[in-house]
Amino acid sequence: MFNIIYIERQVADHPRTQAICARFPNAARVECDRYGEVFNPNSQDFRLQKRKPALILAHKHKGRVLQAPEGYGLGSDSNWYFSHMLNCLYDCRYCFLQGMYRSAHYVLYVNYEDFGTDIDTILESTDSEPCWFFSGYDCDSLAMEPVSAFVEHFLPFFASRPLAHIELRTKSTQIRSLLKRTPIPNAVIAFSFTPEEVYQALEHKVPAIERRLQAILQLQQAGWQTGLRFDPLIYQQDYQAQYRELFQQLFSQLNSEQLHSISLGTFRLPRSYFKNMVQLYPDEPLFAGSFSDTRGMISYPQSLEQEMTDFCTHELLQHVPESLLFPCTLAI
Amino acid sequence: MINLVVALPAEARPLIDCYRLNKKTTIGTFRVYQHADMSLIISGPGKVAAAAATALLAGRNSPGKQTAWLNIGIAGHATYSTGQSLLAHRITDHATGKSWYPPQLFDLPTTTGSLLTVDVPENNYHQDLAYDMEASGYYPVASRFSSMELVQCFKVVSDNRKQSTATVTAKSCTQLVTQKLDEIDTLVRALTSLAQEVNHWRAPHPGLEQLTAQWHFTVSQQHQLAELARRWQVLMPEQPLWLSALEKQKNATAVLQSLRQHLDSLARV
Repeated sequence: MFNIIYIERQVADHPRTQAICARFPNAARVECDRYGEVFNPNSQDFRLQKRKPALILAHKHKGRVLQAPEGYGLGSDSNWYFSHMLNCLYDCRYCFLQGMYRSAHYVLYVNYEDFGTDIDTILESTDSEPCWFFSGYDCDSLAMEPVSAFVEHFLPFFASRPLAHIELRTKSTQIRSLLKRTPIPNAVIAFSFTPEEVYQALEHKVPAIERRLQAILQLQQAGWQTGLRFDPLIYQQDYQAQYRELFQQLFSQLNSEQLHSISLGTFRLPRSYFKNMVQLYPDEPLFAGSFSDTRGMISYPQSLEQEMTDFCTHELLQHVPESLLFPCTLAI
Repeated sequence: MINLVVALPAEARPLIDCYRLNKKTTIGTFRVYQHADMSLIISGPGKVAAAAATALLAGRNSPGKQTAWLNIGIAGHATYSTGQSLLAHRITDHATGKSWYPPQLFDLPTTTGSLLTVDVPENNYHQDLAYDMEASGYYPVASRFSSMELVQCFKVVSDNRKQSTATVTAKSCTQLVTQKLDEIDTLVRALTSLAQEVNHWRAPHPGLEQLTAQWHFTVSQQHQLAELARRWQVLMPEQPLWLSALEKQKNATAVLQSLRQHLDSLARV
């Protein structure tokens, strides 16, 4: 999987570093002072690197757990996000990570315990109010589980902190580590979907819709809370038929009563990310469409955004109660 | 297109012969050999010379195009046998401690390894890595002109703890590079093909010139026009960049507006 693993000297002897390196005995191990030396140089091409990303093992020094933007969340007032990893195993053409980072290498912060300490500090300061912690913002929460053992570490952590809720957002079918555990009520496994046509065109290396659906069914049967994420909604000429078919496919098999939440939001990006992505993929039809540029955000024209959101909301309400729906219109 | 940066004439000779390069010109003290898709410069030893030669070659390339770069030469190594080769995955400048990490995208038989650029020939080989005298001059300069994936550094071990630098001769340099020509050629092909691919993605629409010849576009308008032409290429790759509505437009602003309206209408059919 990896030919090269870059390792910050500070974490070279960390047990998690040792365990990960042992999985890849043939990978060259290259030491560096700080991961930014490898990850941040200007003259890198994300598109080229995506062909063969390397793994970088690093220490996250600060800014480990950050407040989510106001209005983001699933009904709670206290919303936080954290990223144990930067970049994703998959290659979705609409993904903002392509525009945000110069490198496609995977950065894995191995000091999970420090993330836990920061989460505890937040919990202590919030007067017994439930808090939500969202993972899967700068990476897929489950896709690298065999390497990262992220779920393996964090589920027991959250299990003993009932006021802390975690969302694991994913397109992965790596659910073994979840299935072998007793479900906890304060975790939601949220799967992202786009219609089959969009999946085929834009979601490279992502497991097929049906496989993801089967993974949700297995999790539901095991008693896990699950969620659905239709974010971003992608416009195609016949998007209405496409989304109607997707919803039909999902809800004809899923138990809606076991769904925790559904969120949806149209395709939107900061202008600078969008420009970077166009530069990387000038030949991508997604970026040849008609977009509006409002206060530094690129999105579909407002009338189209509204039309798509209204349509998908209306269609979803044929299958689930309104209380499960959480529209998201915030900037990434 | 690929640029080869080589320190010594003895290292360059097998490459010049293999690729049938012609001596194009001498610029200052640098000799440049060339054919259609490849240039080779002999920098002379040392990182300053390598940086200067790299910059000089870069200045001769077409602006805006991505060119592949390969530094080829001999190196010392603490533990590798002479004749073993490596592709640098880390280049460190001994004098400053600064490192660069050329991304490795290719599945090649060549081992990757760390390379330390020193100012004087190394005979103690304190660290278990390769020692050269050019890479830290070459790499940061070349990667200002091309993305780092396209800039690589290939070394053949000429000396080690058992066989010191005193044993290295012009003849042995030539032999060492000659023995690795197959590996070098695989790398040259892979890099060249990658650079071609990148340039293909980023090629401007061929119809742009016709429009810029007919109307005057400011620099800002040229950027807008290029972006509209990119969208045109994606949405209508078979159609020339032209609308009958453009014929009556008096200025560049109106041309841009016509093109934008047409593309927006197409994008949401």
